[in-house]
Amino acid sequence: MIKNMKSRERFSNGIIYTVLSFLSFIWLLPIAWLVLVSFRAEPGAYTDYIFPKTYTLDNYIKLFTDTKLFNYPRWFMNTLIVAVVTCAVSTIIVLLTSYALSRLRFKLRKPMMNVALVLGMFPGFMSMIAVYHILKAFNLTQSLFALVLVYSGGAALGYYISKGFFDTIPKSIDESAMLDGASKNTIFWKITLPLSKPIVIYTILTSFIAPWMDFIFVSVIMKDNYANYTVALGLFQMLSRENIYQYFTRFAAGAVLIAIPITLLFIYMQKYYISGVTGGSVKG
Amino acid sequence: MKKLLLSMLMILMTLSLVACKAEEPVAEVKDVTLKVWGSQEDQSMLSGMIEEFKAANPGTNWTIELGVVGEPDARTRYLEDPEAAADVFAFPNDQVMDLVSAGALYEVTINKAAIVAANIQSAVDSATVGGKLYGYPMTADNGYFMYYDKSVFSEEDVKSLDKMLEVAQAAGRKVFMDVSNGWYIASFFIGAGNKFEMVNGKQVLDFNNATGVKVGEAIKAFTAHPAFLTGDDNVLKAGLGSTVAAGVSGTWNANDISTILGANYGATKLPEYTLGGVATQMGSFAGFKLMGVNSLTEFPEEAMALAEFLTNEANQVKRFEVRKLGPANKNAAQNASVLADVALSALAKQAPYAMSQNSVAGTYWGPAEAFGLALENKDYTKSIQEMLDALVAQAGN
Amino acid sequence: MQSTQKFKNLLNKVSSQISMFFKGFAEGNIITKGSYIVMGLGQFLRGQIFKGVMYLATQILFFYFMITSGVSNIIGLKDLGSKMQERVWNEARGIFVVVKGDNSMLMLLFGVATIFIIIGFIITYIMSVHGSIQNEKIILSGKKPNNLRKDIELYLNDKYHVTVLTLPVILTFLFTIVPLVFMILIAFTNFDRNHQPPGNLFTWVGFENFSAVLWNDPLKSKTFIDLLVWTLIWAVLATGLNYIFGMVLALMINKKGIKIKKFWRTIFVVTIAVPQFVSLLLMSQLLADLGTLNVILREFGFIETFLPFLSNPTWAKVTVIIVNLWVGVPYSMLITSGILMNIPTDLYESAKIDGANAWVQFWKITLPYMLFVTGPYLITQFIGNINNFNVIYLLTRGGPLSLDYFQAGKTDLLVTWLYKLTVNEQNYSFASTIGIFIFLISAFFSLIVFNKTASTQKEEDFQ
Repeated sequence: MIKNMKSRERFSNGIIYTVLSFLSFIWLLPIAWLVLVSFRAEPGAYTDYIFPKTYTLDNYIKLFTDTKLFNYPRWFMNTLIVAVVTCAVSTIIVLLTSYALSRLRFKLRKPMMNVALVLGMFPGFMSMIAVYHILKAFNLTQSLFALVLVYSGGAALGYYISKGFFDTIPKSIDESAMLDGASKNTIFWKITLPLSKPIVIYTILTSFIAPWMDFIFVSVIMKDNYANYTVALGLFQMLSRENIYQYFTRFAAGAVLIAIPITLLFIYMQKYYISGVTGGSVKG
Repeated sequence: MKKLLLSMLMILMTLSLVACKAEEPVAEVKDVTLKVWGSQEDQSMLSGMIEEFKAANPGTNWTIELGVVGEPDARTRYLEDPEAAADVFAFPNDQVMDLVSAGALYEVTINKAAIVAANIQSAVDSATVGGKLYGYPMTADNGYFMYYDKSVFSEEDVKSLDKMLEVAQAAGRKVFMDVSNGWYIASFFIGAGNKFEMVNGKQVLDFNNATGVKVGEAIKAFTAHPAFLTGDDNVLKAGLGSTVAAGVSGTWNANDISTILGANYGATKLPEYTLGGVATQMGSFAGFKLMGVNSLTEFPEEAMALAEFLTNEANQVKRFEVRKLGPANKNAAQNASVLADVALSALAKQAPYAMSQNSVAGTYWGPAEAFGLALENKDYTKSIQEMLDALVAQAGN
Repeated sequence: MQSTQKFKNLLNKVSSQISMFFKGFAEGNIITKGSYIVMGLGQFLRGQIFKGVMYLATQILFFYFMITSGVSNIIGLKDLGSKMQERVWNEARGIFVVVKGDNSMLMLLFGVATIFIIIGFIITYIMSVHGSIQNEKIILSGKKPNNLRKDIELYLNDKYHVTVLTLPVILTFLFTIVPLVFMILIAFTNFDRNHQPPGNLFTWVGFENFSAVLWNDPLKSKTFIDLLVWTLIWAVLATGLNYIFGMVLALMINKKGIKIKKFWRTIFVVTIAVPQFVSLLLMSQLLADLGTLNVILREFGFIETFLPFLSNPTWAKVTVIIVNLWVGVPYSMLITSGILMNIPTDLYESAKIDGANAWVQFWKITLPYMLFVTGPYLITQFIGNINNFNVIYLLTRGGPLSLDYFQAGKTDLLVTWLYKLTVNEQNYSFASTIGIFIFLISAFFSLIVFNKTASTQKEEDFQ
């Protein structure tokens, strides 16, 4: 009997491994191609072959040495700084907001949730211009600080994921803590957060990624301040019709480099990803 | 002590008297701050030119800042915040109408006659709206023509589109043209004599008349030919030298294509195509880049002087030398090295058949692309007449 | 009817607040009366110095702002500018001197911002008065009003929501709400290509745009309906498929006995680490008619001529959905993973003891739990996909363009169509009008679903 169950389990595990490998292959295919392009020596954006005729490290080297036209190192630092700060600010804002909406009861709670749900639904492109002028009124244009504000400003609206997660933590945990005299503030930092590691990681990761990806907001806010561009906007310039033939391979190299800090962050945070199970803590 | 103090006081008083006398009224030096926008590739060239401008105009205290805004982005960046825009900026001529109607440009009145006389007529026309000049012509090379592989085609072959297709097919190669693109597909209609007009702010086209239908048939035949290839610049450049024997494109690709084709690099005006049995020269759009002065500038005269300097004959020649950009200045265009440039001379040969985009509205591009796409995909569910009717109706909406 | 009752309750609440306001003035002592005029008086004369000073500072700042710019901003809202840019010939200088006119766009924006500032001030004012009245009551009952230390304690516990939500609310107002109101109001103006500042003014036209949109020519209506249908289909498929695949993937990785879970997860995270516009650009190259995928397939002899992944309308629609899976599944995998790991294992254990197999466990425990937690997420994803500009635009530009539609292609969503209209025609007021329609439809649906789903109904039960 036991042998049967074990071999059945091994069989289903085997299928899963196969499926996972197949899916990983498919998922990584475009990325692999990107990496191949970044090592390609021949210029051009479009080729009818996959494997480069000659390989070179030149694209990566030139990214950092030939900064006359495209100041990649500076942009990389800009984006890194903005990403780190935005990540910190956004995460705190979102988690606190979700906590408030999940645990605390106050008069405006339901209306606020409804409004926040609905605020993102207007498909308009003038909002960027409005935001730019609002920033200008505070004398904040063309600075990295303005970018951080813009990226974190709407953070609270993404409360629903974290809130859903917080909702699943039994209220009894909170109540036993309050009986011990803890304030809501203490409960949040000392109890709720440690129990919510997966969602904290998810929030940190997504708010860290956003500044690396955006090239629209940045172009409106930075305007002609070339030195303060972020990496996404800078790379986008490489795709203009005059530049794309010469610079596409370098573009690929630049894009690959962006993936590195994000992946590293995720690997580092993976060990916190597994959260404690809440099964036993209430019974006492 | 007292004596020392007294004498010091005396000295101080005398000094101040002398100083007062020495203060003669000095001629007031004006402080002028200007911002200039140019593309990233132009930055070092422009800063050199700006230094020369400052040296040539010593009577003013200049502070000239340079910012990065590429020409295609000029209009968008400007309209987002006109006050923060540069005092002098470069833009392509297809943005003239929008900028003028938004009140963005200062009318050029100082030295207007000289500027008009010095530059190619079509360049000046592209910068003129309602008889008023709004920009300083800078380059005249944003048009398109035919690049070809000399090892496949002779100079006779490239005069006729049909001949090119025949030769290419025999050699197992393709002739490239991005027909599903309003900019290129217009060449057939322009060559046949169809018109773009703006009436009361709406686009009026006559593409669906009898001539237009014949043009449509010709395009259909072209796209149905086995040697026809469509795509974008990337496809063209990847194929030249191997699978593609010729293609329609512009000067922005000249450097890359001459590298790819090497000794076989050739360029000429667009060929003649067969319109209802008659050989008709293909037309094209001419494109120019201009410099303009921001209407909200605090120093209009100085900005105009700077714009004029940056686009004068000497600087247009320099611009060609450094960036290979074809000048709009008549004399500069006669420069030996300009004439020797393969791409620019092809453009010059095509110039008589090129028209400006001033009467093309933003509503034209979508329907034109859709029309070209249908023919490229060999989607003949609708008749040419029907498709052209739809095109004209949508563009004029 | 329940809603009329709720509305009546609301009205009652408002009127009782108003009467309390006036009663407070009438019944209060001299200090309280004074606090109606000088904000903060009722606080710092009664021991709450910090609070009082803050209120007073707010009042001074507000008056300063109103005097310097606020009042002119509000007046500007009325007709959005009357002075047009002028060109005056100056013989001496030889130029047409440009005389600056009003900038309608900025007047609209700052007018809206000022209105919100005024509302914010009124709220603060009421808060200070209310606090003053409370203080008086506390003193009358023999106790002392909270000093700073007690207040801090209060705000970290009972009133924690105020502490925590103040900054997010302010930021949201600045960067989301004010621009949103600005955009909505544009629909009531005639801001388009012929009315572009700084050279031109635009002004209010009331409901003109809305009636123009509804009375459309048949081509525009057909385009709107077709695109609406495709947008909804796309949103359903994109959201649903992404969610299911993500969950299945998460379940597979999470299953007991699968080694190197971290490794599998990291692989999928790498694909979201590359910027979307880069990966989508690559995809559009890969799948082009003459693109790499077609080349490979031909070389291996699978096909004769190229497969029109992106150039044939139907193919393009399928391709877009599949590519969107590639983009979105890693995200949904991460979220569902995190939640899966938090499901209490004793639920599963007791189910096993009761004899439930894996399939039943999934249906009765995992799925309901997931749907509960991610309910709002799904709704927002659905709405987000309705407005998913990036994937469609970067992959196909909304193409292939079709003459059957007005300036649109077969994979265009309503929002990408809107973008094209805006960029090509600069018809901002038309775009805002359509945007309002989209907004009303989306908001209506999501609010209904949101408030009816188990998520909100059973919120308390779950906790």
